[in-house]
Amino acid sequence: MTRPFSGRKDGLSLSEALPDRSLFALVAMMGFLAALTLAGASGARALSARWSGGAAQLLTIQVPDANAPLPAQGGGSATTTRVQAVLADLASLPDGTEVHQLTPPELARLLEPWLGETDSSALPLPAIIRVKLPPDASVPATLEQALGTHVPGTIMEHNARWGERLRALANSLLACAGLALLSVGGIATMITGLATRTGLATRKDIIKTLHGLGASDSYIAGRFAWRTATLGFGGGLSGTLMACLPLLLLLQMAAPFASAPLTTPDRLLPQNWQALANTIPSDMLCALALLPFAAAFICWFTTQVMVRLWLLRLP
Amino acid sequence: MIRLDNVSWRRGKKDSGPVLAHLSFAVPQGGFRWLLGPSGAGKSSLLSLLHLENLPTDGQMTILGKTVAQDEKRAALVRLRHRIGMVHQDYQLMPDLSVADNVALPLRLQNRPEDEIQDEVHAILKWVGLGERLDVPATRLSGGEQQRTAIARAIIHRPGLILADEPTNALEESQACRLLDMFAELSAMGTTVIVATHNESLVRRLERPFLFLERGRLVDEGDAQV
Ligand SMILES: Nc1ncnc2c1ncn2[C@@H]1O[C@H](COP(=O)(O)OP(=O)(O)O)[C@@H](O)[C@H]1O
Ligand SMILES: [Mg+2]
Repeated sequence: MTRPFSGRKDGLSLSEALPDRSLFALVAMMGFLAALTLAGASGARALSARWSGGAAQLLTIQVPDANAPLPAQGGGSATTTRVQAVLADLASLPDGTEVHQLTPPELARLLEPWLGETDSSALPLPAIIRVKLPPDASVPATLEQALGTHVPGTIMEHNARWGERLRALANSLLACAGLALLSVGGIATMITGLATRTGLATRKDIIKTLHGLGASDSYIAGRFAWRTATLGFGGGLSGTLMACLPLLLLLQMAAPFASAPLTTPDRLLPQNWQALANTIPSDMLCALALLPFAAAFICWFTTQVMVRLWLLRLP
Repeated sequence: MIRLDNVSWRRGKKDSGPVLAHLSFAVPQGGFRWLLGPSGAGKSSLLSLLHLENLPTDGQMTILGKTVAQDEKRAALVRLRHRIGMVHQDYQLMPDLSVADNVALPLRLQNRPEDEIQDEVHAILKWVGLGERLDVPATRLSGGEQQRTAIARAIIHRPGLILADEPTNALEESQACRLLDMFAELSAMGTTVIVATHNESLVRRLERPFLFLERGRLVDEGDAQV
C-alpha cells in the first residue's frame, strides 16, 4: 500500500519519462572521453610550459671522446682533454653564465628511461655540458663554429630551436584536445536534447494538465532539468572514475620521464597508489573534479531551453 | 467578474472556420451560469478559453477582473490560473498519483505548507465521499470516483472562478444533487461558477441564468426556463 502523500509528487513520473539507463550510460561514455582528453590536454600543457621556460637561454653541448687528449697545437707541452678545451672556450661567455658538466650519476639518471639501470660506464658516453646564459645575454653566433673547429666533433644544441618545435607540437595537441572537448560537449547536448524530447512527448498530456493547474514554466522546466542534471552528474562521475584507471596506468608509464621518477615499473599495477596519485598534476585533478559538474550543467541547461521552448505552444 | 467582448476562437490554422464566433456576455462575481447547447456546440472550447488553456484569436476577454491580452505575460497567466478551478470532461487526473496527491496538486503548485495541504485534502475528500480512498491510485477509481476526485481538485484551493464540464455525467442522482447544492453555496459566497451540461433535469433543479451555444455562437441568454 502506498502512502496517501508521498514526497513531492506531481504526476510527471520523470524516472519513467526520462529513464536513467540510456542518458546515464551515454553521458558516462562522454565523461570517459572527456576525462581522457582533459588528461592529454593537461599533459600537453605541462610539456609546453616546461619547454618554453627559458629555453632560449639554454645550451646543451655534447663532447664525444671527452677524455681523449686534444692534439697539441703550436707544440704546447701540457695535454688538455677535449672536454677541458671546450670548458675553457666557454669561459669566454658573458659574466653570469652557468656552465655545468653533468656528473656520471646525473648522466645515468638522464639516460635511465632509455637505458635502464645498466652500468653505463661501459658505454662510450659523450660528456654533456649544460650552459645557462644570463637572462639578457644571447648565444654568440660564432660559438658553435668556434667550438667545432677547436674541438672537432662537438655538437651544440640550442634548446630554443627544439623548444620552439616542441611547443608548437604541444600547442597543436592542446588545440586538438579543445576541439575534442567541444565535440564531446556537443554530443552530450544532442543526447540530452533527444532524451528531453522523448520525455516531453511521453508526458505531453500530463504537462498540459499541470500547466492548466497553474504550474509555471520554470517549475516544469526545472523538474525536467533537475532530472537530466542528476543523470548527467551521475554519468559524468562514472565516466571520470572509469577513466581514472587508464589514466593512472598512463601516468605510471610516463613517470620515469617526469622530474621526480617513481620506482621502475616492473609490474603492471603500481604498488604505491598514493605516490602515483601525488604525481597527477593539480590542474588535471581540478579539471577531472569539475567534469561531473560540467556534465550536469550541460544537461540542465539543454533541458531548460528545450522544455521552455516546448511550453511556448501552451499559452 | 467575467466579460467577453466579441470573442472568437479558431483551432490552429487560419483557414479552418472559428470554433467560437463573436461571443459577448458578462458574468458578475458570484454569478452562476449554466452553459447549454447540443454536443459539438463549443461548450468545452469556451471553457478552455475561460480556463486560459487557449487565448481568444479575436476580441477581448476579462477573467476575474483581469483583461487578458493577446500577448499576456506568462507569469500573469499562471497567477490567474491559480484562481481558477476546472473540472474537465475527461477529468484529467494524473494516472501515477493517488487520489490524495491528485487533489493536493493545486495547493502544492502554490507552495502551500504540507501540513495545511494534508488537512485540506482530508477534509475535501471526506466531503466528496472519498475519505477512505485517499491512497488509491487514480487509475483504479470508478468513473464516478474519478469525477469526484476531479471536482475536489478543482475546488480545494478555493478559486474565484469554477468551471465544470459535464461534472455530473458519471455521478449518481444523490451525488449530483449534493454537487449542485455546493455550487449554489459557493456562488452565494462569491465564487463565479459556470457549468456546462446537457442534462435538462439538472438544469431544472437549479434555476439559474444560462448561456446557450449553437455551432459556436451564443444564441440565447436569459433566465433558465428550459
Ligand atoms: N481536438 C479537436 N480537434 C479538432 N476539432 C475538435 C476537437 N475537439 C472538438 N472539436 C470540434 O470543435 C467543435 C466544438 O467542440 P466542443 O467544444 O468539444 O463542443 P461541446 O463541448 O459543446 O460538445 C466541434 O465542432 C468539435 O467537432
Ligand atoms: Mg464538451
